Amino acid sequence: MQRNPYVPIPVDVAKIVTEVTTKDIKTFRLTFVNKEDEEQFKYLPGQFAELSIFGKGESPIGIASSPTQQGYIEFTVQKAGVVTSELHSIEEGTRMGVRGPLGNTWPIEYLEGKNIVVVGGGFAFTTLRSLIHYMLYEENRSKFGNITVVYGAREPGLLIYKEELALWEKRDDINLNVTVDKGDATWKGREGFVPAVCKDVAPSSENAVAVICGPPVMIRFTLPEFFNLGFSKENIYTSLEMRMKCGIGKCGRCNVGSKYVCKDGPVFSLAELDQLTKEY
Amino acid sequence: METRIIKKENLAGIVKKLSEDMLVYAPVQEEDNVLFKVLEKGMEPLIEFDNAKNAPKNFFFPQTETMMRYLKGERGEELTDVPEEMQEAVLFGVRPCDARSFVLLDNVFNDSKYRDPYYAERREKTTIVSFACVEPPYTTCFCTSVDGHPFSTEGIDISLVDLGDEFLAEFLTPKGESLLVRLGELPKADEASMSKKEALSGEAADKIKSKVPGRSIKPWLDENFEHPFWDTIHQSCLACGTCTYLCPTCHCFDITDEIKKEEGKRIRSWDSCMYWLFTMETSGHNPRPSQKERWRQRLMHKFKYFVDNFDAIACVGCGRCVMYCPVNIDIRKIVQDISKL
Repeated sequence: MQRNPYVPIPVDVAKIVTEVTTKDIKTFRLTFVNKEDEEQFKYLPGQFAELSIFGKGESPIGIASSPTQQGYIEFTVQKAGVVTSELHSIEEGTRMGVRGPLGNTWPIEYLEGKNIVVVGGGFAFTTLRSLIHYMLYEENRSKFGNITVVYGAREPGLLIYKEELALWEKRDDINLNVTVDKGDATWKGREGFVPAVCKDVAPSSENAVAVICGPPVMIRFTLPEFFNLGFSKENIYTSLEMRMKCGIGKCGRCNVGSKYVCKDGPVFSLAELDQLTKEY
Repeated sequence: METRIIKKENLAGIVKKLSEDMLVYAPVQEEDNVLFKVLEKGMEPLIEFDNAKNAPKNFFFPQTETMMRYLKGERGEELTDVPEEMQEAVLFGVRPCDARSFVLLDNVFNDSKYRDPYYAERREKTTIVSFACVEPPYTTCFCTSVDGHPFSTEGIDISLVDLGDEFLAEFLTPKGESLLVRLGELPKADEASMSKKEALSGEAADKIKSKVPGRSIKPWLDENFEHPFWDTIHQSCLACGTCTYLCPTCHCFDITDEIKKEEGKRIRSWDSCMYWLFTMETSGHNPRPSQKERWRQRLMHKFKYFVDNFDAIACVGCGRCVMYCPVNIDIRKIVQDISKL
C-alpha cells in the first residue's frame, strides 16, 4: 500500500541557524521522529520538500542538505509568507512535518565524469550547497572532475553557509570564488557581480556542465558569459520556482506548458527550458 | 457481458431500495435544478432528466474535503486522523460525457507514482451506472467533437438505454456484474433489444449538431503560445470561475488549514485557473498576471497540455461552461475560431 502522499512525515526541529545579518534567512535542521521514515526519505541534490506546519499550511523548499549527511535533513528558508514566517518564529524542539522528497534532481549521473561549475546568487544557494556537499563527499569526489564555484551575495552579511564556505576555501579539490556586490570594512574577499566574476574566473567549457541558481537578473547576465565560454544549452542547468500546493502534479498550478515544475522539475537544462513556454 | 431488461416504472424503486444498503449518489430535483445528491432515506432518483447542473466529479473529488485532522499536542500540532476509508457506493444516472471525465481524471489522480488515496479509494469502491443519451439533451452538447459519443461506455460499469417502455441494462464490467444480484430478478435482454440499441446509438450521434474541431487545433496550439488571438477571448471574462467549477474534468485544487479552538483540519477545495491568486507567488510575482494568460492556460490545458501528457482532450463536451457562463463565452466558438487561424 502506497503511503498517502499528502500526509506529512513527522520531524523535530533539531537546530536552527540564523544565516544572515538581516535575520530573515534561517537554516532548519530536521530529524525524523520515526526511523522508518528516515530510511524511506531517499533523495538526491536538487529535490525539494513541502514543509508543513499544521494550522498554517505548507511551503515548498529546496533540500539544502546532502544525502551524504546522514541523520537529518536541512532547509534554508527566507521569511516571506504565512508558513515561512511561522517557521521563523518556532524554536528548536518543535515538532513539524515534511512531505517529500519531491521533484527531480540535479542530473547527478550526467554530471559524473565532468568538470562542474556551480554558480549561485544570494539565497538561491541551497540546493547548490546540497550538490557541493554531495560531490565533495569522500566516496563521491573522484566521480567528478574539477569543481568550480562562484557564489555571490549583495553584501558580506548576506552570504549564507559562512562556516562551510570557510572550510571549502581551505580545500584544494574545489575552486571556490565568493564575491559580494559591495564589501564592508572587514571584507577581504572579492567584490563584484556574479556575471563579472564568472567572466574573470572563466571556467573551461571542455567536458563541463554549469549549474546556475539565483535571482532572475543574475541569471540573465550570467548566461551570456557562459555562452561566450562555449557552454551549450544542454550543459547549463537551473532550477525553477512556482507557487505550489500538492507538489505531486495534481493541483494544477505550477505548470509551465505541459510540464509541472513540481513533478517534471524543478531542475531543467536551458535546452529543455527552450522547449517550454516562457510562463514562469 | 450480462444484459437485462428493467421496466421503466420499476427503475426508481430499484435504486431507492439499493440506497437502503449502500451509498447512492444520484440526480434529484432541487427547486429549479437537477443536482447530484446522496439519496437519503426514502428518496428516489430522477429517471427522466436532461443532465445535472453539477458534474458528478464532486462525488470522487468533493468541492471541499478534509484530508487530515490534527490536535494541539505538547510540542505542536499532531496528526490525529486521516479519513481515507470509503464505503461501497453507486453513482447513478451519469451521462456518458460525465462518465468519460472519470477516465480522464484517473490519469491525474490515480497515477502510478502518486496515487491520490481520497479519489482513488472512492473510485475503486464505486459502481457507475449511466443513462445513454438517446435524446442528447442540449443544443450545446458536443461530445462527438471531443472523442465522445452519446452512447459511449467509457468509465461506465452499467449502461442503461431507454428503449421506450423499458431500459436495456448492460453490465459492462465485473464491478457492474457484481451489482446484478442486488437488483432482484430481471429478465434477460433479447436480440431485438440489442439491435434496437444499436439503431438508437447511431441516431443519437446524428442528433448532435454542435461540431467543433476538438483535435485538429492541437498543431496550432503547439506553435502559437504567443499570438494576437489570445488578446481577444478573455476581454469579457469576469473571472468568476463558473466554467471550472461546473467542468467535469477540471481538477485544480487548493490546500488550506483551518483551526477551531484545539482542533485543526487540512482541507482540499476546488480552485480555479481563472483566479489571479491561483499562481500568485509570495514575492508578488505572478507568472499569469492577467486574465489573458489565465484563459490561455485553461484552453491550452484542455486542448494541448492534457493531450501532450495523456493523449486525451480534457473536455468531454457536456456544454455546462457554455450554458452557464454569465457573459456567454463559448469554448466551442473559441475552438472554431482557432481552427480558422
